Amino acid sequence: MSLVPYILRRLLQLIPTFAFIVLVVFILVRLLPGDPASAILGDRALDADVNRINAELGLDQPLPVQFIAFVKAIATGNLGNSITLKLPVTDLIAQRMPVTLMLTVMAALIALVLALPLAFLAALQRDKLADNAIRGVFQVGLSMPVFYLGIILLTVFGAGLGWFPVGGYGEGFLDHVHHLILPALTLALSLAAILMRNLRAAIIGVVGAEYVDFARAKGLRPRLIMIRHVLRNALISTVTLFGLSIGTLLGGAVITETVFAIPGAGRLMIDSIYGRDYPVVQGMTLALAVCVSLTFLLTDIVQAYLDPRVAR
Amino acid sequence: MTIVAANPAVRRRARISLPFTLVFGGVIIGLSTIVAFFPSLFAPYDPAAMDYNALLQAPTVAHPFGTDSFGRDVLTRVIHAYTVDMQIALFATLFPFVFGTIVGALVGYAGGWANALFGRVVDAIITFPFLVLVIAIVAVLGPGLVNMYVAVSVVGWVFYARLVATEVQVQKRLDYADSGRAMGYRPLRIIFRHLLPNAITPALVYWMTDMALAILLGSSLGYLGLGAQPPTAEWGVQIADGKNFMNTAWWISVFPGIAIVITGLGFSLVGDGLAELLRTKK
Repeated sequence: MSLVPYILRRLLQLIPTFAFIVLVVFILVRLLPGDPASAILGDRALDADVNRINAELGLDQPLPVQFIAFVKAIATGNLGNSITLKLPVTDLIAQRMPVTLMLTVMAALIALVLALPLAFLAALQRDKLADNAIRGVFQVGLSMPVFYLGIILLTVFGAGLGWFPVGGYGEGFLDHVHHLILPALTLALSLAAILMRNLRAAIIGVVGAEYVDFARAKGLRPRLIMIRHVLRNALISTVTLFGLSIGTLLGGAVITETVFAIPGAGRLMIDSIYGRDYPVVQGMTLALAVCVSLTFLLTDIVQAYLDPRVAR
Repeated sequence: MTIVAANPAVRRRARISLPFTLVFGGVIIGLSTIVAFFPSLFAPYDPAAMDYNALLQAPTVAHPFGTDSFGRDVLTRVIHAYTVDMQIALFATLFPFVFGTIVGALVGYAGGWANALFGRVVDAIITFPFLVLVIAIVAVLGPGLVNMYVAVSVVGWVFYARLVATEVQVQKRLDYADSGRAMGYRPLRIIFRHLLPNAITPALVYWMTDMALAILLGSSLGYLGLGAQPPTAEWGVQIADGKNFMNTAWWISVFPGIAIVITGLGFSLVGDGLAELLRTKK
């Protein structure tokens, strides 16, 4: 069966999602206590200047008018200018977002590489020593805050052993990778724990299913059974969980970038909060939410591929 | 199985052996709660007392966890932080749990357009990275614990509502719900007296996990300077205090982090144990 109609339907669903994202971001900024003009000009601004800036930003208009202007601006790719950095927010997003995405992708890959084999090992050795050890270590990892793990890895492998740089992003692709290994590992651990737990349970469930018994009775080789029957079916729920976790991963990236001084979108967002640079906070929130909704779309497509019943 | 659970007499008779995880986690949370209520009984010093003759001292008998850059006793501050962080675990999750449960029960029972609308809201909210949305809301409201509770509550109730709604939808199709309707009970009575007690289990289990997450979130915001404000003794704030001294005075950051891990572990173990207990009962 072709997946095309399903993908088209999912693309259509993106429209209300994007509309809601825009609405939430709009509401968020209008809640700002004190007005942005005073934030831009400082405490000792003259009333005339405040009024002028308000007029420039369109903040003297009624809310519905502001909202329409806001939507129009976004549709034309204009997210305003950063107050502190004096640059268009879209430029900043284009500059910083790739860094964050690279960090997130590396973390996701590390999490998968850790979780897949360990989940198999734990499931097949169920309730034996290896299983308990793996689950114990991951349980502790799940309770460990990202920033704490980051500081410890940084001290031990960065400052102490000197294997990795203690911060920054470097120059060129390989240098980027070298700089991002520790932060990505930091970010990956809790996701690896969540995925491992889920996949282990799924494998245990699938191994006991009748169609696996049947495959075994047919005399298929155990490895083939594992890959074609057990892994494929056990992965379905894990793929969903993986997709849903991307948001958490991006959130964690905000903290990881702060700990490792990586010039990504998350770091910029935190800096902008300190500097009350509200156009940047608004733009970054928007950009991150769009990234997550696109990931959800991708997840659904992969899931439909693994389990065609989903697409019906 | 639901009919058995719905009958309190049968429930009481069932012999329950407590899972190890529940007991172990329960002990951790019990002790943490006692420390949170009476920190002064356990702390050897005053959490704000600075001793300029004992700056950045390594752990000794007098200061088992060492001292920080202001000469404050790290053990004392870790103990006093229990009051703040346990409070975060409760207050950041209580409103989402209660409000989310009520909304979920109503939406699940109503079904139809209410459920469809709710589904859209959930889809949209989970599109925002939770932490990013909370940070953005805190940025708008200003840093501090109360604003952090508000920010977490605005978003957090959705997860509970979704769990309860799904469960209520299953329960309302069962015979005992029909009997309630046949007896002429009003919908609200059926929802809250009959369906909810049977539908609340997943939300209850999630609440425990959520408290562990709340401590992680609270300490993360404290670390970023958006949660509890210095000089409050809070684990995330303490870790931030010590991060520039990691190479010379690791004890400032390392001990509060261990406290976070142990407490978080306690809540997740209780969650796991509770899930196991309720599963075996079924």
